[in-house]
Amino acid sequence: MTEERPAQRARTAPIVPERSVAGRTLVLLVAIMTFLSAVTLGGVVLVQKSAVAWSSDVGREVTIEIRPVEGEVMESNLRTAVALAEQTPGVAAARVVSLEESQQLLEPWLGTGIDLSAIDVPRLVVVELADPEDADIAKLERDLAAIQGASLDTHAAWRQQLNAMAGTIVVSGLLVLSLIVLATVLAIIFATRGTMASNREIVDVLHFIGASNSFIAGEFQGRFLSIGFRGGIVGGLAAIVFFLAVGLTAGNVVPDEASAQLGILFGRFSLGFDGILGILAVVPVIASLTAITSRLTVRRFLSQTS
Amino acid sequence: MIEFTNVGLRYGQGPEILRDLSFRIEPGSFHFLTGPSGSGKTSLLKILLLSLRPSTGKVKLFGRDVSALDQDSLLQLRRHIGIVFQEFRLLEHLTTFENVALPLRVLGQPESQYRENVTELLEWVGLGERMHALPALLSGGEKQRAAIARAVIGRPDILLADEPTGNVDPELSLRLVRLFAELNKMGTTIILATHELPLLDNFPFPRMMLDDGRVSFRD
Repeated sequence: MTEERPAQRARTAPIVPERSVAGRTLVLLVAIMTFLSAVTLGGVVLVQKSAVAWSSDVGREVTIEIRPVEGEVMESNLRTAVALAEQTPGVAAARVVSLEESQQLLEPWLGTGIDLSAIDVPRLVVVELADPEDADIAKLERDLAAIQGASLDTHAAWRQQLNAMAGTIVVSGLLVLSLIVLATVLAIIFATRGTMASNREIVDVLHFIGASNSFIAGEFQGRFLSIGFRGGIVGGLAAIVFFLAVGLTAGNVVPDEASAQLGILFGRFSLGFDGILGILAVVPVIASLTAITSRLTVRRFLSQTS
Repeated sequence: MIEFTNVGLRYGQGPEILRDLSFRIEPGSFHFLTGPSGSGKTSLLKILLLSLRPSTGKVKLFGRDVSALDQDSLLQLRRHIGIVFQEFRLLEHLTTFENVALPLRVLGQPESQYRENVTELLEWVGLGERMHALPALLSGGEKQRAAIARAVIGRPDILLADEPTGNVDPELSLRLVRLFAELNKMGTTIILATHELPLLDNFPFPRMMLDDGRVSFRD
């Protein structure tokens, strides 16, 4: 051991020595918790975004279904339905789904190469809404009563189911996030208590030379804030790398066609700039959580011991 | 400055450590606190340091009844009291300079403000050449002088010392007590607890003797 000269110590040493705080293990723990939080948050945002986009797309359309009725001319009824739809306030356009398109829609159930002309199948009119809020759907429904076999599908049941499913996933994700945060807080409390116990001599010395509890808590808080930041940055970067890697892998492994369909259903597995910002925002939150939790634990420890 | 009225102390349901102590200590005085091991010297010093509340009786420091004070007021009062322990209690990761400066650092003073004072004090106690050494490299006598310097750097009105010569040889003990005497000459009230009776004969200061929890005074 050699004597330390002023030149060897450029700044005043911290009152709580760095090595006395359970540093490396806690950094790793905070990193893992930050990674889990960021991935959960990213997943929740992904589901929420997709659900909103899907619901919005579906909400911009309503469908008129005309069942074949004996004595009615289908083509005439289709034209009437299109005309009625176009007269309705808030409707942007209306078009008849052709027989070929209907055939394609039925292929998953009836197989390929069937001749629909031999079967009486219901026909569809797709109505695009200019503004779903202002469209007078009730008027359209009343007007369609004049056409025998016509009914209006606003996809409300689909949207309700979709929203319920997305809501359940979001709530579950937030619950998991809360549990991760709770586990982080508990781990920090245990680590802080351990640190306080192993630094009891420092705390006692500070007390008898007249240091306030607030000063002592601040010294320990500084240490834990640094640990929180280091762990948070490692975990946050790992989460960003994870999302980028999964996004790239999904694009390479899944065929383009399937990938496009997955994209329509679940959105792109891509964070985007706002997603990366969101994950980076998790880092100071976790660091602050670490600092605040340790401060409160130290204050409690000090008030119990002094 | 210090006034005890019928002060008693017991830990939990245990026996009485201090019994019915009543005395006054005037500002600027020097008292040796003596008594056999377990007589309650350390407990009495802890009451004076405000880290222990008596079970019965009243303690007044600087004219204030300490039992009526809240945590903040006790903290302010404690900053007028310095303490030196037998086992030094220096922080091992801080240099001598940093250990001595600690009471000023906790008050929020920047190093530029206290550097000169701390250096001067370290030179006065004979540690000018050792100010950048870690405690592990100091001898027992040097550690105790560093501990004394730390106790007086904040210019306390009262200096308490609990067996400060317990870990040093007789010659160094004598020099350390002379150092306390010098501080006393500058106006600091000193209570020095020791069980080394031969050492006391070298100094003219009155003795407070604790025995079986009771105190008696001898000039």
